Amino acid sequence: MNRTLHLLTVEGLEQSFGGVMALAGVSFQTPESLIYAIIGPNGAGKTTLFNVLCGFYPPTAGSLCFNGQELRGLPPHRIAALGIARTFQNLQLFFNMTVLENVMVGGHLRARTGLLATALRLPRVRREEQQLREWAREALELCELADRAEYPAGALPYGLMKRVEIARALAAKPRLLLLDEPAAGLNDTETMALRDLIQRIRATGITVLLVEHHMPLVMSVSDRLLVLDYGSVLAEGTPADIQVDPRVIAAYLGGAVQYAV
Amino acid sequence: MPEQLFQFLVTGVTVGSLYALVGLGFALIYNASDVVNFAQGEFVMLGAMTAISLLAAGWPLVLAAIAATLLTVLVGLLLERFAIEPAWGASVVATIIMTIGAAIFLRGVALLLWGKDFHALPPFSGDTPLHLGSATLLPQSLWVLGGAVLLVTLVHAFLNRTLMGKALLACSFNRAAAQLVGINVKVMLRLAYGLSAGLGAIAGILIAPITFSSYEAGIMLGLKGFSAAIVGGIGNPMGAVAGGLLLGVLEALGAGLISSGYKDAIAFLFVLMVLFFEPTGLFGHKVAERV
Amino acid sequence: MRLAGFYLFAAGVALLPVLFPDNYFVTVVGASAGLHVILAVGLNLLMGYAGQISLGHAAFFGMGAYASAILTTRFAWPGLLAMAAGLLVAGVIAWLFARPILRLRGHYLAMATLGFGIIIHVIMVQAMQWTGGPDGLAGIPPLNLLGWTIEGDEQWYGVIAAAMLLTIWLSLNIVDSRMGRALRAVRGSEFAAQMMGVDTARAKTQVFVVSALFAAFAGSLFAHQQAFVSPDSFNLMVSVELVTMVVLGGMASTFGAACGAIALTLLHQGLVVFEDYEMLIHGGLLMVVMIFLPQGLFVGLSQGARRGWANLRSRAA
Repeated sequence: MNRTLHLLTVEGLEQSFGGVMALAGVSFQTPESLIYAIIGPNGAGKTTLFNVLCGFYPPTAGSLCFNGQELRGLPPHRIAALGIARTFQNLQLFFNMTVLENVMVGGHLRARTGLLATALRLPRVRREEQQLREWAREALELCELADRAEYPAGALPYGLMKRVEIARALAAKPRLLLLDEPAAGLNDTETMALRDLIQRIRATGITVLLVEHHMPLVMSVSDRLLVLDYGSVLAEGTPADIQVDPRVIAAYLGGAVQYAV
Repeated sequence: MPEQLFQFLVTGVTVGSLYALVGLGFALIYNASDVVNFAQGEFVMLGAMTAISLLAAGWPLVLAAIAATLLTVLVGLLLERFAIEPAWGASVVATIIMTIGAAIFLRGVALLLWGKDFHALPPFSGDTPLHLGSATLLPQSLWVLGGAVLLVTLVHAFLNRTLMGKALLACSFNRAAAQLVGINVKVMLRLAYGLSAGLGAIAGILIAPITFSSYEAGIMLGLKGFSAAIVGGIGNPMGAVAGGLLLGVLEALGAGLISSGYKDAIAFLFVLMVLFFEPTGLFGHKVAERV
Repeated sequence: MRLAGFYLFAAGVALLPVLFPDNYFVTVVGASAGLHVILAVGLNLLMGYAGQISLGHAAFFGMGAYASAILTTRFAWPGLLAMAAGLLVAGVIAWLFARPILRLRGHYLAMATLGFGIIIHVIMVQAMQWTGGPDGLAGIPPLNLLGWTIEGDEQWYGVIAAAMLLTIWLSLNIVDSRMGRALRAVRGSEFAAQMMGVDTARAKTQVFVVSALFAAFAGSLFAHQQAFVSPDSFNLMVSVELVTMVVLGGMASTFGAACGAIALTLLHQGLVVFEDYEMLIHGGLLMVVMIFLPQGLFVGLSQGARRGWANLRSRAA
């Protein structure tokens, strides 16, 4: 299969932490502009997968190919430069800044000015600031947070803080967006709003990789699913396929339950 | 050359014992409170100076030493009660400045009480040098070494064999959990400060016959003790002891073999090298952050 | 207007010698305060914004001072060239030192910077042929700025005030920019900052170098103004003072750092009258301020003022 048709190709990914095999040979491919969910019991290796993808630690074996570029061995900021953005399971907002400033940091790589030009506040710095502000506002609009722009990031309710993280990632105009348990701690209304947001994000052409435990959300919003268990791939396919897969049911879903597709 | 080396080693271990005791004090306090107490060096100075004054006032040596230690312990407890406790939860930088402020304050008190003069204690058992092979050793050095060994052994036993000692260690691993199992963290804190002050005072009294004490004696000692604790991995009491000995020996070797003027620079260069290769000290807890 | 506060401050600084002519306090103490502001503003970029600790910053202050002193007295270099050399030396050393050191955190970072400061200080004291040892170097020629030789307290006040305003302006520009936000992001969450594309190691190194350059700049001015340098001006206590100025000013605020610097300079002038009690009071004050206002004098005071105002209003209602 032609590799360049797929945005992300993961092959034989292994990650061990001193004897514990967090990832034991994971392989999958994601095409562009779809929502690809990764599910599995706790400890299955989902967040480890994200962390390896983002370059926080190198995998012990295997390859990661993004848009034709090998990711293995690159530090996080270089991987970000290739067009990958993410949110974090444990909120990693910049609590020492406002919502708008947080999202503006998302646009960091879309500007170029160096230290000297910045210190002297040359005209292109002023233009750049305006541009970054606009891009941030666009991302906030998409996430329905425009009215909270000037709030200190820590002064928002939990659900909105998670959305600020998403807005911040969007401001980077990524090709691939990794969402790490975005529904954790959200109530039903907030989860519905999240679902709509994820669909809006897909509509802009971004590929979304979603790690989630909230089954109704996952089943209703995903185009394809990857099921991990003990660091290995258990199954891969559409929500309809996965829901009736006996291995998945045995390991994770615990009984045949129909979720609205 | 080897004879010289041996001499340097002997000096190094003596000075190192002092650094070990001061470093131990740093480690104990850090364990209980996550605070680096930069006034630790001043406890050493206060112990020595108080003992010197009491002796000059006619007190017998043993009583002067005990009283000086107890008074310094009191100072340590007062520091904890009126400076450390109210500042609970302040940032790392703020507590650093605060304990430096406490050190300056104590130095200011010492300046008023004792002026800028240098003082010394008479050696405990005479000053005829002993000969250990080719090296000369002051009998006082044996007191320092012996005292250090005794104190470290006692503290080690206390921390690992007694319930209270284990409770103190527990506070460093996880304060919330310690509280939940019924450990009174405040009491642990006071214990740590009192113990550290006592250790510092005794160290000061032991070393006073060898080095001259003045109101400024605590500064460099505090810094070296802090270095010892860092080299050993801050929060690891025995690591601090090892760090102190290592620091003392390397400093003595550096002073003897390279240059005595630069000895402090050599000591701190060693510390920087350790930190370069082991960012959390030689025996420190490796901290991992969850993403 | 973005720089409204800055222009107000600049106006105040310019008016001061006009309102109080021939006043030693304004010119000499003002000059000292001005140098402290340059040092504190630079250190604030490192500590307040990037969230790093440096207990050895006086070392860079000293590098600038000694570079100017040695090159102008022993090698007859022109002042500006010596200053440039001082900036280069400080910048290079900061750059070399930053990478390994800025991987450290908390007390370990404090120790490393502290050790660095002491090593530099020992070199100042011991390298007698170069630095003049503990007695220092005297007879530093006056600074010559493209034909104009700076002489006298009033002229020095003007030069230092201009230098101070320049560094404040540069700092404000850096803070209110993509780079400034990147620095604050590093302090907020290094992981997230990296995922946003911020090369955190490079950012920390850059800000370390910038703060070292500011300090060296102040050092060169100091050397010419005093016409004399000695290691006593660059020891651990000075580093601690600088850190205190930044913390007092509330961290993460350029003007806060400036105010902290001015407040502490004035405080030290005031304490001199207490002579033997100076040390005791100094230590006591540090403790008291850190206990009651750990977030800084100005944040603390403004919060207290707001609460007091709210109390008054609720009582009147």
